[in-house]
Amino acid sequence: MKNILRHRSNLIVYPLLLVVAFIGLLPYYWMVSCSFKLNENMFAYPLQWFPDPINWLAYPAAWKAQDFTRYFVNSAFVAIAITLGNLLLASLAGYSLAKFQYKGRNILFLLILSTMMLPLEVTMVPLFLIIKQFDWANTYEGLIVPFFVDGFGVFLMRQYLLSIPKDLLEAARMDGASEFRIYAQIVMPLCKPALAALGVFTFREAWDMYIWPLIIVTKDSLKTVPLGISLFMSNFGVAWDQLMAIAAIGTLPMLLLFFFLQRSFIQGIAITGLKE
Amino acid sequence: MSALTSTQTRPIWKRLNWNVTTKQALFAYAILFPTIAILALFRFFPMLQAFYVSLTEYDLLRPPKFIGLENFIDLVQDPLFLSSARISIMYVVLSCVPVWVLSLGLAVLFNRHIVAKNFFRSAAFMPVVMPAVVNAVVWTFMYHQDGVVNTVIGWFGVDPIPWLRSSAWALWAVIIIGIWRATPYYMVIFLAGLQAIPEEYYEAAQIDGASAWSQFRHITLPLLKPTTLLVMVMSVIVAMKVFAVPMIMTGGGPADSTRVLPLMIYQTAFEFFKMGRAAAMSIFLFAAVMIFTVFQIRLFARGEE
Repeated sequence: MKNILRHRSNLIVYPLLLVVAFIGLLPYYWMVSCSFKLNENMFAYPLQWFPDPINWLAYPAAWKAQDFTRYFVNSAFVAIAITLGNLLLASLAGYSLAKFQYKGRNILFLLILSTMMLPLEVTMVPLFLIIKQFDWANTYEGLIVPFFVDGFGVFLMRQYLLSIPKDLLEAARMDGASEFRIYAQIVMPLCKPALAALGVFTFREAWDMYIWPLIIVTKDSLKTVPLGISLFMSNFGVAWDQLMAIAAIGTLPMLLLFFFLQRSFIQGIAITGLKE
Repeated sequence: MSALTSTQTRPIWKRLNWNVTTKQALFAYAILFPTIAILALFRFFPMLQAFYVSLTEYDLLRPPKFIGLENFIDLVQDPLFLSSARISIMYVVLSCVPVWVLSLGLAVLFNRHIVAKNFFRSAAFMPVVMPAVVNAVVWTFMYHQDGVVNTVIGWFGVDPIPWLRSSAWALWAVIIIGIWRATPYYMVIFLAGLQAIPEEYYEAAQIDGASAWSQFRHITLPLLKPTTLLVMVMSVIVAMKVFAVPMIMTGGGPADSTRVLPLMIYQTAFEFFKMGRAAAMSIFLFAAVMIFTVFQIRLFARGEE
């Protein structure tokens, strides 16, 4: 009886799952399959679900239409720098807030948390004015330094570090280890899961960054992949095959990140909902 | 002898300990400092400056001219700004409510035994993986009059919709993308919340003969309340910030129907170079984000106790 009931609910569950999978994957399938279509077949009636004939030329053509090699190098450099900055600074700050007693600690923590209500969409105008004063428009510094650390990362590291037993640190202190050594050689190795989650999360956000480069970058040699893609669309909007090809290439780093670091990728998101 | 040592060593030990605590506190301040410095310089200071700039007229060429509250008075009378605020609110409400329902529903679905669970869960998660700009570009293509979206709805007998060319539909097009991309994100958070609910509660309920719906109603929902609140607040804040999709897909059109607040701020500042006016708009957006964030921080803080 119970088996039949479960069976019956499966009659709803699996079709539903197939619909969910279809909706989740359709834009990916469409992007990739259309990048191999001939441009004149893009809106053929009936719609081509599989490219016929296959057009191999969109990828090299799109890559050469703009300096995408440069954009990729820029994006990778900026995203890696921001990720490393966040890992270092957030783990230091989180360690300080979680494991030490000092005056003003709680207020400082609240201040750090409160930066979450200052998203770029709110501060972009004055931040732009400051970066201009620094003469950092059209520089890597301008793209990287303002994002070296943010409230979420500190919060995440602090929460994780709270769970590390204090006795461990005390024991190391008894053995005469310096404070910095305790951080680097005892605390950090224990934080690997949190660091991995934060790293993947930050890299994804940094690779995704659009509004800020749009504001401060006008020089072609400093453009990032998202800028390159949106520029391609406004310049060659009707070359759909090439646009889909460049979009697919721009997605590839995220796909690789997801497939190889799936656990950390999902953990970085799940963790925002976990409150110890 | 022993009495002497104890009176002498005690203060030394005490003083040593005090020194160690000071040293530790100094270390703690030192490692916190870079974070505080960067946040002060690139978050707090700009926010303070935003208040000042909002009281000026500033086009980047001439020095800012102080004009008091004029920008604010102008804004609350400007139909374009008011319509932009209205569009943002519509976007937030119409995208967030479906996201809450769908993400919780998916989480419940994935919390049960499923064949090929990994495949289905990854497939459902894929929208989060796609970069925002790619998302905007690909959906622009899919929303084409003869594109795949109209083909798929055609299977169900729905006539083609002029998604991006009609002011009645364009906001819906943006909302659908928002739902598509946000749902799996909050699904992951809900799943983490669901997995934290002890299995025994359900076992006990099953022994009492509770139906699946009443188990959901009386165990899952109440125990998931903190997660649900968090998802609600987070999703509203994220939705208030939507930018890349309307910017790339419609540029705010047609007929201003998708000009959400962040897009309006961007265009006012960097296309029309009205920094003061844009800063005043930012302050409205800031007020809205702040209300929800204070709420969110209080949720975080409550979890601490």
